[in-house]
Formats: sequence, structure tokens, C-alpha cells
Amino acid sequence: MIETEISLRASGRLARIVAYTAVLVISLLLPLWIRSPYLIHVFNLTLINIIAASSLRLIAVSGQLSLGHAGFMSIGAYTAGGLAKHLGWAAWITIPVGAVATMIVAILVGYLFVRLRAIYFSMVSLFFGIGVLAVNQVCEKFTGGYAGLIGVPVMFAGSKVQNYYFFIGLTVFSLLALYRIETCRIGVTLKAIAQSHLVASSVGINEAGYRVFAMGVGCFFVGLSGAAYAHYFAVLSHSSFNFLASVNMLVYVLVGGIGSFAGPIVGTTVLIIIPELFRMLKAYVPYLFAAIMIIVIFVMPEGLVGLPGQIISWIKGSRERKDTHAP
Amino acid sequence: MHLEVIGLTKFFGGLAAINDIDIHVDHGEIVGLIGPNGAGKTTLFNLITGFLRPTKGKIAFEGKDITGKKPHLIAKLGIGRTFQLVPLFADFSVLQNVVASFHLRPRSRVWEAFLNTGTYRRKEEYILKRSEEILLLLGLHEVKNVLAKNLPHGYQKMLGMARALAVDPTLLLLDEPIGGMNANEIVFTRAAIEKMRHQGVSILLVEHNMQIMDICDRVVVINFGQKIADGTLSEVRENEKVIRAYFGGEGAA
Repeated sequence: MIETEISLRASGRLARIVAYTAVLVISLLLPLWIRSPYLIHVFNLTLINIIAASSLRLIAVSGQLSLGHAGFMSIGAYTAGGLAKHLGWAAWITIPVGAVATMIVAILVGYLFVRLRAIYFSMVSLFFGIGVLAVNQVCEKFTGGYAGLIGVPVMFAGSKVQNYYFFIGLTVFSLLALYRIETCRIGVTLKAIAQSHLVASSVGINEAGYRVFAMGVGCFFVGLSGAAYAHYFAVLSHSSFNFLASVNMLVYVLVGGIGSFAGPIVGTTVLIIIPELFRMLKAYVPYLFAAIMIIVIFVMPEGLVGLPGQIISWIKGSRERKDTHAP
Repeated sequence: MHLEVIGLTKFFGGLAAINDIDIHVDHGEIVGLIGPNGAGKTTLFNLITGFLRPTKGKIAFEGKDITGKKPHLIAKLGIGRTFQLVPLFADFSVLQNVVASFHLRPRSRVWEAFLNTGTYRRKEEYILKRSEEILLLLGLHEVKNVLAKNLPHGYQKMLGMARALAVDPTLLLLDEPIGGMNANEIVFTRAAIEKMRHQGVSILLVEHNMQIMDICDRVVVINFGQKIADGTLSEVRENEKVIRAYFGGEGAA
């Protein structure tokens, strides 16, 4: 009567491992074919955003939609950038420190806002994202204020390809950790809370604790990507972390498919690389984004990730229709 | 005494939803809680399980004061509950619903789960085995892979009970366990409640439907937030206040 989803998922496990490995191998070999430093730069940008979007999705798994994720990213970026520029710390130290600092702020904020659910959480996270930028203006000495933080020491200066491999490593590390969290009992518990916080607490789940946990881990990884960003770009401008940046992250997740782990990976890749392929149309990029977003929401409820499945069932459906018409 | 509620009062604004109520449940007892719509039955449940904080009064479980504790801590002490309007983990399968509800006994630490340690794997295996047992006990085994939201209403109610059992409770609070069920399902649910009692679980249940009240050792009747009767079913049936509350008549409010 009703399809058993669990057995379908078990059979898809091998396919998924093969797919992820193939993507990783292709990514590792990519610099052999693509010589253009500019395109490598685009890939680096994509990798940073994949970490950010995937970490945003972990918070979404617990039932909260953050509209201020770029604000958290800026904490990682400015912490790492500031420590490196003003105190001369090495990138190997500032990047983890930036990630941990972001996580600590997220946990403190999480405890304050933990009573807020759904839209109320989104509202507060939006204001937090804006508020962080205001704090950034106040601490001008450390963050550079409006002028931006200029002169952060760059890792692997002069080699975009070395940076590329570093980002691949960072992305693989982050995605493995996030994947493990989602597929083990922690992920099951977060999904349970998202579906019904009443039932979850009636079976002994500490709803508040787990929501803060999701915030902390999600923000650890976005802080990590922010810190890596600081050491790649060398210049931090607060407009890189404004509300639009937070919304972009959310769009990457939604277009790719919020329901699946691969969603933010696919969404980010498609939405960053497509605009770069049509650079002559750069002025129209926001409209392109809007169009893609609308099409995906109306036609692909599961996002781009669900598209192959949709096509398969569509082909099957049309074949069945033909069969019934046969004499 | 297993559960003891003394002088419990809850005000919503100026309205006393629960007014100075005393209730107790002994070990291994089935106590029925009945009363007309709006009498305060579900409010009482929410107070006992920590979803609401009482204005006044005391709730003691196994001799310990649990008044005002958070719901997840009350579950930890061994009080399981179901909900009247069957909220469940709608996008999980039946089996996943029960597995996800095994959060306390055994309990895995976050880092154990993350690192996939041997103890974690053994606990998960045990949870899977126990979940299947609970589904067999409640007759949900054939539908274990069906998504909870696609289940018929009666099955959803049974799933609520299965989930509450995953807490490994010594006291179970059932909010309208047979509400909206057909005759077959009612027979089955009655049998399931009896089975749980034989496993040593005390039960406090709320129900409008009198078809299940004869399995209760004792029945407590409340009306307008106040207890009006407490005794065996036949005693309560003869009680004038109860008759008035249910059928109206002279002096009925």
C-alpha cells in the first residue's frame, strides 16, 4: 500500500557513497584541466559557501531557520583576521580560534533565544545578523570599521591552487562531521524536535539543549568558513556579511533542497558557478537568482537534488499511461 | 503511593482551570479521570508532566516533589504520556518514531553517538530490539515502515502509546486513548492497557468514553476544575454530584 522508505534508503546507501567519492575525485583533479586562476578562485568561493550553507542546514534540521548566518560568519572572519593582523598569529591558530569564538557566541545567543521557535527565532536571528555588523563598527580599532579590515596575512600567497586544495580539505572535514551528526542519533533527535517539540520533551529530550547544540555546531562551521575566508581574501568588508549574504546562504540551501544533505552542496555550486558562466549578464544576476528560486519552489518541492527522482517518476508515469492506452 | 497531587491549583488569568485538586495513584493501579468537556482534565495532565506550571499545590512522584520541573526531566523520572490530539513525529516511520523516543534508557552521550563507539552501537541495537518488541505488543509491527502521518487515526493513537512506553515509564498518563477509535480498536487498546498494567505500570487515563472505564480500579470525576467524586466506578455512578454534572438537573451549575 505505502512504499517502505527505509528499504529504499538502505539500497541508496552504496549509490550515495559512489556519488560522493566521484564528486571528490573530480574536485581533486579539477585543477589539472582548469588552468584559469579566475575559475579556481570561483571554485574556492564555492567551497567556502558550501561549508556555510551546509552548517546553516544543520540548524534548519533542528527546526530553526536562521536569517543571520552571515553575521555569525563575520565573527569567525573578524576574529581570525584581527588576531592575525594585530597580534601576528599564524593562520593555523587563528582559523580554529575564529571557529570556536563563533561557537561560543552562538551558544550564548542560543541560550537567550532558545524559547523562541520558528518565525520568532528567524526574526531575532535577522536582528542579530544586523547587530553584529553594528558592533563591528563600534570596535573600529580591531575590525577596521567602515573602511574594512585590510591586510590580513594571506595563506599560500600567490597560489590559488594551493588554496583550492586547502579548502577542499576543510570542506571534506566539515561535511564529514556534519554528515555524521545528521545520520547518528543526534540527527534523529534534532529531526524529532523539529517535528514536534511537545512529543520530544515528553520522551525526555532536552529540547532547549539540543537546539543550542545545533546552533553551536552550525555556527562553529560557519565561523570556520569565515576564518578561512579572511585568510584567503586578505580584506574584510562588512558588506560581505550583511543581510543579503545571509539570504543568499538560505537560497543556496532552499534551491539545492533543504530536505537532503546534498542540497546545500548542489545549490551552492549551481548558484555560484552559473552566474560566473554568464558574466556578460552580470547585471541580471539578481533576476536570474529570483527566476531560479521561483522555478525551484513551484516545480521542484525537493529542490535540485530531487530533480532526478522527479524525472524518473515522470518517465515511468508517462510509460504507464501509454501502456493503459495500448489495445 | 506512586503519584500524589495535593491541593493543585492553576489559574489562567482570573479563571481557575484547576482548583484545589487532590488525586493519588497507587503502584500498579489504573485510575480513570473523567469529567465533562472543559472540566480541566488535560490541564491536569499538562501540570503533572511539567508542560504547565501550577499556581499552587504540590505534585509528588514516588515521594519526591516534582512540582514545576521541566517536561524532559519528568520523563526522566519515569512518567510517560500520550497526547489527546496525537501529535507525533509525522515524517518518521512508525519504527523511527519509537526508536527516536528511546532517548533516556539507554541514554547515549552526544560524543558517543558522534564517534560511533562500541557502547553506542550496542545501545542502538538494543533500542531497535526493544522498539520491535513494543510494536509487537501494541500490534503495530505490520505497519512499522509506514510513515506516521499516513496511518489511520486509531493506529496513530496506538503509536502515541508505543512512544510513551519507550520512556520505560512506571507511570503512564493516557489522554483519551480510545478517542475516535472504532469498536475493534477499542477492544485492542483495552487489552494493551491491561498488558501494560501486568508489566507493573501504573496508569492514569482521561476519557469521555465510558466503554473503557470498567478497567479502572478507581475513577475520579472532576467538573469546573474541582474534584466531585473519587471511588470505584459503581460508587461514582451513584454519586449525585456526578449525575448532576453529566445530566444536569436541579442545582446544576
